[in-house]
Order: sequence, then structure tokens, then C-alpha cells
Amino acid sequence: MASRIVVNTLRASARPRALPTVTRAVNARAMSSSNPPPSERASEIINNLPSSQNLVTKTGTVILGTGLLATAISQELYVLNEETVVAAGTFILLAFLAKLIREPYKEWADGHIQRIWGVLESSRAEHTQTVKDRINSVEQMKDVVSLTEGLFALSKETAKLESEAFVQQQKVALASEVKAVLDSWVRFEQQAKESEQTELAKSVIDKVLSSIKDEKTQKEILANAVAEVEQLVKNKAI
Amino acid sequence: MNFNHSNLFINSPLEQFEVTSLLGFNAPILGYMSFTLTNLGLYSALIFTVILGLHYMGNNDKKLLPSKWSIALETLFASINSIVRDQIGKEIYLPFIYSLFFFILIANLIGNIPYTYTITTSIIVSIGLSFTILIGVTILGLSIHKIHFFSFFIPSGTPLALVPLLVLIELISYLARAFSLGIRLFANVVAGHTLLKILSTFLYQMFSGGLIIFIVTLLPFALFLAITGLELAVSFIQTYVFVLLVCSYIKDAIELH
Repeated sequence: MASRIVVNTLRASARPRALPTVTRAVNARAMSSSNPPPSERASEIINNLPSSQNLVTKTGTVILGTGLLATAISQELYVLNEETVVAAGTFILLAFLAKLIREPYKEWADGHIQRIWGVLESSRAEHTQTVKDRINSVEQMKDVVSLTEGLFALSKETAKLESEAFVQQQKVALASEVKAVLDSWVRFEQQAKESEQTELAKSVIDKVLSSIKDEKTQKEILANAVAEVEQLVKNKAI
Repeated sequence: MNFNHSNLFINSPLEQFEVTSLLGFNAPILGYMSFTLTNLGLYSALIFTVILGLHYMGNNDKKLLPSKWSIALETLFASINSIVRDQIGKEIYLPFIYSLFFFILIANLIGNIPYTYTITTSIIVSIGLSFTILIGVTILGLSIHKIHFFSFFIPSGTPLALVPLLVLIELISYLARAFSLGIRLFANVVAGHTLLKILSTFLYQMFSGGLIIFIVTLLPFALFLAITGLELAVSFIQTYVFVLLVCSYIKDAIELH
């Protein structure tokens, strides 16, 4: 009796405490974000079935799948044996690994692709900028061709003038040379002439002097002089 | 009842490694030649096709921006390239090591798919591969070092009296590489597949024992899943080890210690 009372008391004391605990646990489970409620989980599994969104077709898929499997097994089209266990194990493992790896790999691969894309994009932008800069720098020198052509024409003209000037210089030099030579000839001729005249005068004087010394000539001169004086007197010039 | 009847017939776990003829014909050429397509031949062709397909997909239509496939392939290429550069130092051997890596890896991975055959569990493939490589490496060493290649069998600083003994030991050790390389791969893959076969046989018996036992068996099935995962890891690890050892053998032949 005593034991029954003790047991009842214990049950009574345990009941109110146990109930809130269970309720709390259920609430916590329902509110937890990592564990979705069973209804959501069930609808997720149903949605994963391969057919359209209609519930009737989903049910049809399940029934068809189960029926086909049952037929395959019963008709010995597919024999259940230990390899089935391996197949199931491998399928579960691969599905688990795929689920585990898919997202991190996708993130990593996308990051890698983005990095390469960024490198390519930045290099393209750099290249475009470089080409633009080059176009701008070339644009600044757009008058270079006409300017160079003008300078070339000028230099050509200068060279032509220089050559003409050189020709003229040569001509002047030649003329001055000729003039100098001719002058020297003239001087020489003049000197030769002067010396000839001097010689001539000297020879004339010598001849006159020598002729004067001759008495016959002196008499003749004197006779001529007397004749001239007589003539003058006769003409009454004196 | 049907289950119990089928349970009476238990296959040997080593049966999966048998080379069987799928189709063949005898032709009256050169005596009587038998042309046979075995599961080994079929899976070799399948491996070749898968490798080609993988690289075709990884080629990414020659686009500059990589796809997710090409990134995976490029990462594998970079890993193998770093192994070759670290171990040998010459990238001329990269195509060979790369091909070897992909051949063994795809062979092992295809073997992990149920109902398939693993060609590396055939001793003629594994030992044949390692023997061919060792013969090639020896020819490489002889062509580079000529007669000096044999100094490889005499460790430096050996007393003259010990030379015959050490040469013998070194020669045996050198030849043992040809076996150890292939047997390591063969034994690991065979052991894993055999273990899976044995465990799956037990699990199948337990799964077909009733609803309660079915539920209880889910616990060892989880362990089985872990072992399947380990098998998957062994496929990668054994490929890596094989390739790494081939690299070190090539390095030995090039540098002679």
C-alpha cells in the first residue's frame, strides 16, 4: 500500500513537470530553423519527385515507380542480391557527397571564374585605356605631317638657294680671279709700254743729242732757225 | 520464400574479379586465333572513352573563361604538374604521369560503381603496368648513364668485400619494385572490393530477415557506407601513391641516387 502511495505520489509529481518539458521540446523543434517541420519536409520530398507540380501526377509517379519495381522484382527482371546493398550504399554515399560538395565547390569555382573574369576584364579595360591614350597622343601630333612637309619644302628651297649662292660665289670668285689676272696683264703691258716709251724717248734724245753734236745738223738747224726768224721778221711778227 | 531459396546460393567474394568472355569468335588466321572481348577489354575501352569525354568537356570549347568542369580538370593538372616538378624536376615526363594518373584513377572510380568491373583488380593489368614502367625506367637510366647506370646498385662508400652482396641485395630490391608497385595497387583495390562484397552479403542476409532486423541492420549499414567512402578515398590515394612512386623511380633513373 505504502509503495503504491509512493508510486502514485511520484507519478503525480512527475506529470506536471514532464508535460511542459515535452511541450517545450516539441516547440523548440518546431521553431528550430535547421529542422523544418514534418509537413514542409514531406512536401519537399513530394516536390522532388520527377513529374509536374500536380499532386495527382506525383501520386501517379510514386504508384508507377513502385509498380514497375515490384514487377521488375517479381518477374526477375531485377534480382535483389548483395549487389543491391552495394548499389544502395554507393548511391546514398554519392548523393551525400554530391550534396556536401556541390555548394562549396560551386562557390569556389564561381569565385575562381570571377577572378579570371576580373583579370580579363581589367586587362581589357587597361588595353582600351592604353589605346585611347595612344589615340590622344597621336591626335596631338595631327599637324606633324603638314608641318614636316612645310619644313621639308623650306629645307629644299634653302638647299636650292644655297646651291645657287654657291654657284654665284664661284662665278664671283672666277670673275675676280680673271680680273686679277687681266689687271696684272694690264699692269704688265703698261709697264712694258712705259719702258718702251722710256727707251724710245731715251733713244730719240740720244739720237737728237748725237745729231745735234753733228756740225752739219747744227748748221742745218741754225739755218732753219735763222730762216724762221727771217720769216717772222718778214711777216712782221716780231 | 524466394529470398531463402536464393540465399542458399552464395557467390565467392572473389568471383567479381574474374575475367570473363563477353563475346568472341575463332578465326582461321595464323592457325586458329580466338578473338574475344572480355569484361577487362570492355572496361578498358570504357575508361578510355570516359577519360576522352572528361577532357572533351574540360576543354570548354576552347573558351578563355573556364567552366566548372575545366576548373576541376585544371586543378588536377596543376596538382599532377606540381608532383612531377617536385619529384622529377623535368616537365618532359608530365604527359606520361598525367595519363597514368587518369588511367588508374578512372579505372578505380569506375570500379566503385556497383555491377561494374575494376580493371586494376586484374593482376595482369597492375603487375603488367608496373613491369612495363620499370622496364621503361631501366631503359631510360641506361640510355642516359650508359654503363654507369649499374653504379646505382652499389651504394657509395661500400667496402669492396661487401660489393657482391650489396649488388645482389640492391638488384633484388630494384626488381622488387616492379612487383611491389603493381601489387600495392592490386591488393588495396582487391581487398576493398572483397570487403565490400563480404559485408554486403552479410547485410543482404540481415536486411531480408524481417522488419525489425531490417531496422536494426541500418546501423551496420551506416558503417558499410563509411567503408564505401573509404573505398572511394582508396581509389584516389592509391592512384596518388602509384604516380608518386613512378615519379621517384624516374628520378632515381635520371639522377642515380
